[in-house]
Amino acid sequence: MKAFQQNLKQLEAADTQVLGVSMDSAFANKAFADQIGVTFPLLSDWGGDVSHQYGIYVDQYKAARRVNFLIGKDGKIIEEQIDRDAIDPKKIVDACERKKLSR
Amino acid sequence: MKLKNVSRNFGLWLLAAAVVCPLLEAQSSKPAPEPMKLKIGDVAPDFKLHYFDGSDLKEISLSQYRGKSNVVVAFYIFAFTGG
Repeated sequence: MKAFQQNLKQLEAADTQVLGVSMDSAFANKAFADQIGVTFPLLSDWGGDVSHQYGIYVDQYKAARRVNFLIGKDGKIIEEQIDRDAIDPKKIVDACERKKLSR
Repeated sequence: MKLKNVSRNFGLWLLAAAVVCPLLEAQSSKPAPEPMKLKIGDVAPDFKLHYFDGSDLKEISLSQYRGKSNVVVAFYIFAFTGG
């Protein structure tokens, strides 16, 4: 989440809203956001319905996988980063900027 | 007669080992990452989730950004973890 915060200006300049999602409570997420200085919303998927819907819930961990989805204005998925790859948002930032230039 | 029993037991043990060992092995080895259910180009399912802004719970839906901006939805495992 920190990494997205560091790239937030670039992402916003490319018309991109960042939303973090975890299965923590909204209140734990707020404490986390404050601690690491995240200013974008960290959403609470309490119960994991959305994680299930997106097919990224892992029974073994009782938690969601670390996955980033970049979703376009038309609602379609443009980019996916999974597990370890999802820690570095560079690919997402690049994709957003490419999209901005192509318009 | 006794010898026959011993050899039969031995056979049963072998059979049991043959069944159990692969199971143990399967359990200890890491599962391969599963392919993603949602593929690039798929429409992302809409959701409505809440976040706490310090005073109130606010609702955000994916569809509110339709036609307005791209959205990065970053799922992370738990609060207070890296990344």
